[in-house]
Amino acid sequence: MVDEQERLLPIANVGRIMKLILPPSAKISKEAKQTIQECASEFVSFVTGEASDKCHKENRKTVNGDDICWALSSLGFDDYAEAIVRYLHKYREHESERANHKQQTSKARDVTGQHDHEDKEEGDDDEGLCLTDSPRGKGITSTRHRHPAPLEFRIIDRNETSPF
Amino acid sequence: MRQPGMYSGMLSGISGKTGPHSLPLARIKKIMKKSGDDVKMISGEAPIVFSKACELFIEELTRQSWAMTMQGRRRTLHKDDVASAVAATDIFDFLVNLVSEPPNADEDAPGGTNNIEH
Repeated sequence: MVDEQERLLPIANVGRIMKLILPPSAKISKEAKQTIQECASEFVSFVTGEASDKCHKENRKTVNGDDICWALSSLGFDDYAEAIVRYLHKYREHESERANHKQQTSKARDVTGQHDHEDKEEGDDDEGLCLTDSPRGKGITSTRHRHPAPLEFRIIDRNETSPF
Repeated sequence: MRQPGMYSGMLSGISGKTGPHSLPLARIKKIMKKSGDDVKMISGEAPIVFSKACELFIEELTRQSWAMTMQGRRRTLHKDDVASAVAATDIFDFLVNLVSEPPNADEDAPGGTNNIEH
């Protein structure tokens, strides 16, 4: 049995976003909130479908952020696409910095020295760290190229003489 | 203070950084997966992108709907205002069937008056 609510975004979140746009004195009927809640899900489905078609045509299995941006543009949501390309870029930078830090700390502790693929969500085969599918990956596939030198070995220096 | 503007979420407030998002990522992912049988693998960043895209979408649809409310000189945004906004905006064409579905009860009948026609 599939809960009907599972196919919708939480109405509280939807209402909150709506309120930010409206003047303080504005009121929103419950049906209007529900309608916009439904529209948002339809929006996700619609854009995902377009993105998924593109992946299928290009023989790729994973729908990534770039595909979503492309689909948004293709469906007429150009303004969103631009804003999101910037947002995605910031996110990827953030993620690669986190990955860099994780690599350093895991190198310090692990004997095997392998970096973990953090599984934020089940069923993913790509994470934000390894953008091998993306044509616009812009060198984020390896963080070692960006930061070859400054590694924080302060912890190692205090406790161990050798990293292994 | 409320900040009207398309990118209010980008600059500050809701999700100015890549930290907490205003919409639950797991739910977004579920909706994505339900959109089609051939949607099998979704990258970790896709729900995050959608979290932002949905914010922008909800903001825009709300703004357009509110314009309809104001045209009717009302202060309460009704479902009909959303329907009018969808009808008036090309990129919302995919929503036309969704918003024109008859409600369970005729509470939101246009005009809002009792049916006392003779």
